[in-house]
Amino acid sequence: MTLMGDGKDNQAVKIRVENVGVVRGVPGGSVVIVDDVSFAAGRGETTTIIGPSGSGKSTLIRLLNRLDEPSSGRIYLDDTETGTLDPLELRRRVAMVLQKPFMFPGSVLDNLQLPFRYRNAAPPSADSDEVRRAVALARLSPDFLDREARSLSGGEQQRVNLARALIGRPEVLLLDEPTSALDRPTADHLAATLHDVCRSEQLAIVMVTHDLRLAQHTADHLIYLEKGRVVEEGGAAELLARPQTEAFRQFLAEPAWEKESTDGK
Amino acid sequence: MESNHVVPMDLAQLGFAYGLILLAAGLSRLRKIGQEGKLLWDSLRMVLQLLAVGYLLHLVFAVRSPLPVLLMLLAMTGFSLQIAGTRIKRRMPHFYRVVGSSIVIGCGAVTFYFCLLVVGYTPWFDPRYLIPLAGMIIGNAMNGATLAAERLSSEMHDRREEIETALCLGANARQAAEPAVRNAYKASLIPTMNTMAATGIVALPGMMTGQILSGTEPGVAVRYQIAIMCAITGAVAITSFLILLQGYRHYFTEAHQLKE
Repeated sequence: MTLMGDGKDNQAVKIRVENVGVVRGVPGGSVVIVDDVSFAAGRGETTTIIGPSGSGKSTLIRLLNRLDEPSSGRIYLDDTETGTLDPLELRRRVAMVLQKPFMFPGSVLDNLQLPFRYRNAAPPSADSDEVRRAVALARLSPDFLDREARSLSGGEQQRVNLARALIGRPEVLLLDEPTSALDRPTADHLAATLHDVCRSEQLAIVMVTHDLRLAQHTADHLIYLEKGRVVEEGGAAELLARPQTEAFRQFLAEPAWEKESTDGK
Repeated sequence: MESNHVVPMDLAQLGFAYGLILLAAGLSRLRKIGQEGKLLWDSLRMVLQLLAVGYLLHLVFAVRSPLPVLLMLLAMTGFSLQIAGTRIKRRMPHFYRVVGSSIVIGCGAVTFYFCLLVVGYTPWFDPRYLIPLAGMIIGNAMNGATLAAERLSSEMHDRREEIETALCLGANARQAAEPAVRNAYKASLIPTMNTMAATGIVALPGMMTGQILSGTEPGVAVRYQIAIMCAITGAVAITSFLILLQGYRHYFTEAHQLKE
């Protein structure tokens, strides 16, 4: 597979994955989870990775902010190999929203201040530009700032999660199954928010999802992964309209993605 | 009875005391609880262990040299570590190295501080003081250490989501593990704090009772008890602190990644 198969120019590329593999030891041998995957994600666009359960999607996205290390291959942020960057600095530049929104004890504002506390910086106040901007981007009402974060609904918590990831002005946003715990209308609202944030902030979004509808609404670039390998890759609209392989056609035809996403995984 | 003499205990008297174990076993059998075999076996083990320790202490007391005393303290530490290792269900990574070094440093420092500076007897290795005092300190620190290690292990497992969320938000390993470490530290101190709160009201502590029985003035025995409780608290706190300080790191890689 070519590195920038869809003709993305070097200027637009924010994060680049080159021949990445993940092999895990299991009793009696080893198993390949991600197999020689390459792709590039650009500024101001959403790259969505879809595929059946166990296809290695979540493992792959966790490599991008070094929550895990690849067994082989390289990942570049701009032109710097991520393995050479301080992982804490990398995670400030490449924010990640995990599948289940975990709320720390305290108010929504306390949660939004955490990234600053972690880097020993003065936490911004409720009326600071940072907090206002993050809350607005996540379409969260400022009235929520004083609310106990854990008392919020799933959809509201996911918005706090998003605001908390965006408050440090990351360059890349990773999303691992962001709608898996949400009902349909809430998931659709989140999809619209993500789409706008991606454009307005010129963020490079890389998202893993089972939710085909979310992919349809947000993806610019689509990667179909199966058994750790890229089976299809290209412009989302084109690929969804005209799948090239039988495997992807079958995946699109099966409503399994919907079942799995409402099951929470 | 004269105040400074203990009533000697002969085998017949011991036999009467052992009768109470037989009574406990009999009750177990009567109610078909099925624990009598284990009870008798455990009591027999207790008798044999104490007899062996008695003879060993006799020997160590007679030699009057630091080496056998230190070897005995080392053996006590080794046994307590082994017991802790088998008692824990979910062991933290590098359990023996982490807990072992923490006990040696924590208990060693507190024992020598206590024996040399607080009590201040000579010679420093006098087994009549060093062995029982170190025994109490090690035994209690072991309980604290077991709780700290076990709790850290379960907290790190249960809080996986929280820890990874913190890492994603830019936390380093220490910051991400802080709530788990804090809870484990609290848990390790609970039994010691409970004992302090109950001492003198619910139960008379063993060392104080022993000293009073062997003829020591109650005022002196009380002062010893207060001092040893302080030493135990210090040893539990330092040992648990060292375990947690070393322990949480083993759950992370150098790149602040939570291991599988």
